[in-house]
Amino acid sequence: MKLNRNAVGWLNVSPLLAVMVPFFIVPIIVVFIASIMQTDGFGGMFWDPSLENYSYIFKSDLTYRLYFETVKFAVLTLVFSAFIGFWVAHFLVFHVRSKLLAMGLFLVCTVPFWTSNIIRMISWIPLLGKEGLINRALIAMGAIQEPLEFLLYSDFAVVVAYVHQLTIFMIVPIFNSMARIDKRVVEAAVDAGASKFDIMRYIIVPMSKSGIALGAIFVVSIVMGDFFVVKVMSGGGTASVVGAFYEDIGVLQYPSAAASAIILTILVMLMVAAILRIVDIRKEITQ
Amino acid sequence: MGTGNGDIELAGVTKSYDGETYAVDGINLKIPDGAYCCLLGPSGCGKSTILRMIAGHEDPTHGEILIGGEDVVGLDPVQRRTAMMFQSYALFPHLSVRDNIAFALRVRGLSKTERYGKADEMMEKVHLTEFANRLPSQLSGGQQQRVALARAAITEPRVLLLDEPLSALDEHLRIRMRAELSRMQRDLGITFIHVTHTQMEAIALADTVVVMDRGEIRQAGPAREVYASPNNRYVAEFIGGQNVLSGKVGDVNGSKATLAGPTFSNIEIPLLAGTPLHSGQSLDIAIRRDDIDLLRLGGNGVPPGSTGVEGAVTGVEYQGTFVKVMMDAAGEGEFVAYVPERRFFEDTLSVGDRVLAVWQIDHAHLLA
Amino acid sequence: MTDAIAGKAAAPAKRRVRRASSDRPWTFYVLAGFFAFYVIALYGPMISIYILSFQDVRGGLVFPMRGFSLHWFNELIMQTRTGDVSGSFRRSIYLAIAVTVITVVFSFMAGMAFRRRFRGDTIVFYLMIGSLVAPGLVLGIGIGLGFDMAGIPTNWFTSALGAQLSWTLPFGILIMFAVMSRLNGDWEEAARDLGASPAQTIRLVILPILAPGLIAVALFGFTLSYDEFARTLQTAGAQNTLPLEIWSMTLNVTSPALYALGTVSTVISFLIIGVSLGSIILLQRRNAARMNISE
Repeated sequence: MKLNRNAVGWLNVSPLLAVMVPFFIVPIIVVFIASIMQTDGFGGMFWDPSLENYSYIFKSDLTYRLYFETVKFAVLTLVFSAFIGFWVAHFLVFHVRSKLLAMGLFLVCTVPFWTSNIIRMISWIPLLGKEGLINRALIAMGAIQEPLEFLLYSDFAVVVAYVHQLTIFMIVPIFNSMARIDKRVVEAAVDAGASKFDIMRYIIVPMSKSGIALGAIFVVSIVMGDFFVVKVMSGGGTASVVGAFYEDIGVLQYPSAAASAIILTILVMLMVAAILRIVDIRKEITQ
Repeated sequence: MGTGNGDIELAGVTKSYDGETYAVDGINLKIPDGAYCCLLGPSGCGKSTILRMIAGHEDPTHGEILIGGEDVVGLDPVQRRTAMMFQSYALFPHLSVRDNIAFALRVRGLSKTERYGKADEMMEKVHLTEFANRLPSQLSGGQQQRVALARAAITEPRVLLLDEPLSALDEHLRIRMRAELSRMQRDLGITFIHVTHTQMEAIALADTVVVMDRGEIRQAGPAREVYASPNNRYVAEFIGGQNVLSGKVGDVNGSKATLAGPTFSNIEIPLLAGTPLHSGQSLDIAIRRDDIDLLRLGGNGVPPGSTGVEGAVTGVEYQGTFVKVMMDAAGEGEFVAYVPERRFFEDTLSVGDRVLAVWQIDHAHLLA
Repeated sequence: MTDAIAGKAAAPAKRRVRRASSDRPWTFYVLAGFFAFYVIALYGPMISIYILSFQDVRGGLVFPMRGFSLHWFNELIMQTRTGDVSGSFRRSIYLAIAVTVITVVFSFMAGMAFRRRFRGDTIVFYLMIGSLVAPGLVLGIGIGLGFDMAGIPTNWFTSALGAQLSWTLPFGILIMFAVMSRLNGDWEEAARDLGASPAQTIRLVILPILAPGLIAVALFGFTLSYDEFARTLQTAGAQNTLPLEIWSMTLNVTSPALYALGTVSTVISFLIIGVSLGSIILLQRRNAARMNISE
């Protein structure tokens, strides 16, 4: 009479699976297979399964430095974007009284998202450069004599570019979860004598943690998987995990690149799993 | 479309979601065509599940549901010719009032002129014509309810199923819409099944009241019967308006018997043919709150043909036409008398006063 | 003793006076300032490169502005030094449209599936999260190698399309989750009760109610695709999409032509978003107007 509930579910997710299987599961398997193959030194691979590529990576000091750098950028970006995202969303939800104005300001925050990330990144060059606006302004004000070198082509520039690009991924989910907090709960807390800090600690942060977690997943996975911002904004001074194996590919060293890719993927999945352990995102967003 | 026979019979209907606990447990119920039937019970008693099974939104685990003599289990709502009015009204938020009402005709493939013609007729009937082009969000609660009713009625169902139709309205509107529902039912002449947890709503509207508890029917019958002669303690307490006294039967001799409990002794109880009483058995009796007279101690005592208990007044609530006087006469349970307003103020009682609550012996009602 | 009492009484009075002059808490002003700073930092750099793209031939990568002309836009179109900019624009837009359509339809279906529990739903959910967070370049390499092994040439409208979907679909579905949490199951039951078939219920009830959410998914899908870089890099085949083109320019071109490309790409994304939003508003206006006329 009626289709079984499970059958309907699977039928509806079948188009999704038709994409996920060939474009997510299979590629990961392919990369894994490549990672246990050997290079013939001329850009080709041959089948001689071993974990040599992995042991080589784990023996290299460079690996640990690369991972340290990449995780460092992920954590710094996460901290700054979460901080900015939280307070921007808090301002829009709890301090702007007109709903229409809040929506309008929210859109103002999201507009740059519709423009190219790469363009947004390079747009820092005329500002942060040695002859950029900031250095000129500081010199004109007499605050410094020599232009500040660390502004561009440095770790600082990398973090600035990441935060500039990714804070939106924090604002949207945090705004979403904060908007669902019943204002009367806050009023009840004020009536009960809660201070601003108590309200923040016991109401707003716990109730927006699903948004923070979702934003953290976006930010961590994007920074960990990126190499472009580091490459351009560090001026070549700093490398990244992905950047390193992209260079391997450039010289057709597929097996070692693949091994590095698998390790990175596992690390990212573990980081995301850790976030998901703290917050059951599925339950939170479908409720 | 003919009127169709809207009599309903549930035979051994059971519903279990997990195979262990039963939301509805072996219900047998007959509702005649054109009746106004209320399913009454606390939340979670299975009343909404029964409604949804009649509507065809859920299938019973066991049992038969007959509408007009035909087993409808497995049929679509449309084939059953039932229509449901949802507690949330479930008005389509993107459609105007007219389009909401015409929805059933639209999915049946009627042309725009045809369906708008019928919808306009229906809107006239429920006084919605001026709101035809509004969206549901632009209507008041009462107007939304009328739209929901009109939308369900336009399908010309033989049974209209109403799931807590008045619960979203304020007290004042609820009483007005109650009258409206009653009028609609008379006009349409079809069976209404109305789920509610409000006793007064059920008693005011229904020809047949079905009191439910934990998936079972505790009593089904005309409103007056259920109110005035509850079968058991659960019904007496849930319907309200009754004082329930529990005790043990004392002497039984000829035409008289007595009941004794922790806070009272020697209440006389009526002896009915067909319900033999034995000395020492446990028994619950119910006495309507408005059958109780309060006398000051030290007066003439219990009048002939009456019996009573003694207790202290614990609370007084003014209700307008009567005064609700609460007493500590029934042990842990509450004991309440509804004293007519004038009589109360002839000799005002206050909290702490000791009084004698008396009633005519044959007004007491033995519970199973 | 009396002084102490008087002091205590005075304190709240003083607070009330301060409140009357401005009923906003001090945190409002701090956060408003913070917000303003964020918006300036968000837009400032972008606006500066839009301005710098209008320099004349003497223009450099930094301020001050040297002259005013459309020189660098000309250079962009003439493709003297740059690659196939207009071709990559076209490809990116076609690709983004395909990704958008597929993302909306598939996300809607998956969103419907996830409204109820079904056996194995958790596996599908985590598969989706996995696909969302997997490093883009890793998937790109895997897809590229996979196509290579299977002997199929990579191409922007095959392998790159799939690679982008592996990222836009989870995104779209997460948005659908948020949207569908507001979809009341009673509406579907009411439609069924009134005789609508499942297809009619979707067409006449669910889709119109979810329309704003589906538009959001579409806009996200379009933007994520139009700007996708890491997953496309190894899968686009011989012909570049726009972000790949911009990327190769950033490595080779050190003239304001780069900024001109940024200006053009921004104008185009705003045009597309504007046209789609505008047409939606227009449609709604017309609906509203129709209602008023019949009233």
